[in-house]
Amino acid sequence: MLRARDYAEADRIVTLLTRDFGKLSGIAKGAKASRKRFERKLEPLSCVTLFFRRRPHGQLVFITRAEPGETLHPPLDDELTKLALGAYMVELADALMREEGEAARAFRVLEDALAAAGQGPPTLALRQAYELQMMEATGYGLDFARCRLCGNRVETLTGALYFVVARGGIVCGRCRPEAPEGAVRLEGQSALVLAHLAVTPLELIASATAAGRDGAAALNRFLMTILDRRLRSADFLDGVL
Amino acid sequence: MPENLKRNDGLPPAMTRLVKELSRLPGIGEKTASRLAFNLLNRPRQEVIALAEALLEMKERVGLCAECFGLSDRPRCAICEDAAREHDLICVVEGPADLMAIERARSFNGVYHVLHGAIAPLDGIGPDDIKVSELIARVSGPAPVREVIIATNATVEGETTALYLAKVLKPTEVKITRLARGLPAGGDLEYSDAATLSSALNGRREL
Repeated sequence: MLRARDYAEADRIVTLLTRDFGKLSGIAKGAKASRKRFERKLEPLSCVTLFFRRRPHGQLVFITRAEPGETLHPPLDDELTKLALGAYMVELADALMREEGEAARAFRVLEDALAAAGQGPPTLALRQAYELQMMEATGYGLDFARCRLCGNRVETLTGALYFVVARGGIVCGRCRPEAPEGAVRLEGQSALVLAHLAVTPLELIASATAAGRDGAAALNRFLMTILDRRLRSADFLDGVL
Repeated sequence: MPENLKRNDGLPPAMTRLVKELSRLPGIGEKTASRLAFNLLNRPRQEVIALAEALLEMKERVGLCAECFGLSDRPRCAICEDAAREHDLICVVEGPADLMAIERARSFNGVYHVLHGAIAPLDGIGPDDIKVSELIARVSGPAPVREVIIATNATVEGETTALYLAKVLKPTEVKITRLARGLPAGGDLEYSDAATLSSALNGRREL
């Protein structure tokens, strides 16, 4: 469940990321009143098995029932940072996904990320790994492993490195002696860490190191460019993580 | 749609205006608003005046209690003024309706703090948007506080708010508790969901 809001007396309008149908929005009639069909299951961050039918007119599907999902991630509600990170994760997935696009990979990334956050500890490394892997799953993959111009691996590069949004990755100081406009200067170590986080399974992230401020700034710059806004949950997460 | 092509709804402007105003209310669409407007039109003049006066009186007189931020038509509400209540026991709720629900249970004799919302990161509502700093000031203030009971809803927003309050109130060293979650009265174990059963087991008590 990505988001939900009350509608009229007893209904809920919800948006979900599904394994088989991509991102879906639907209306659950009587969701607030029917404890049998919906009780406590149409809440953001929950994993549900959904029964729905399409309506001939209108974009919202008609949700008739929700049951606890097959893959329940560990609860997030025992720690503030877990809830804050979980909220950020679902909001980012919601922002990056289009309605009813192919979403099996994005679904798996979100599922694994929520599981990792639930097992804890929720860390900055998990946030950065999730950002990189969700962007990759939705067609915005970034390359921190090699210079996008000369192709040399980051381990072999010396001197300045720049993250360039338009290139979708880093360029080395040899290819661009002067900082490209709007670029974020990166330490080689930060580029290495981000390259590692982009491919490490999320369940193994707990002990990983996060990229420093320059790495976080690079990811933030890219997200701001493609989303054209700051996520609502980001400020709260920054305050508690 | 251009102004000159707008559909004429066949109602006099005064009725159209009333329908428009009524349909701003939660849960009331244009059809229901029209039904209410016709009903009001057919009522005796005195009843309509009484309704209009009640609305105005409510808006002019009802404000927030300076202490608990519950609804009140005086500077301090009746609960905060009541000397028989335990003023060192504060129950924190999301809204006035939650306060009323706890009062209906008749098993709480402390006082309240109404947050007027819950922290909802997905909606961009943070601690500064609700009455959190007022609660911290109240608990850290000169009046002694024995316990703060956090009675926010069992939703993502309610849990986030509860955990946040527990974090920011910790330095005050006041006892912080959270309402128990578990089986509803008259509920069958067989039909309870996993989360409810898990909460009930974790919150079990000795008999």
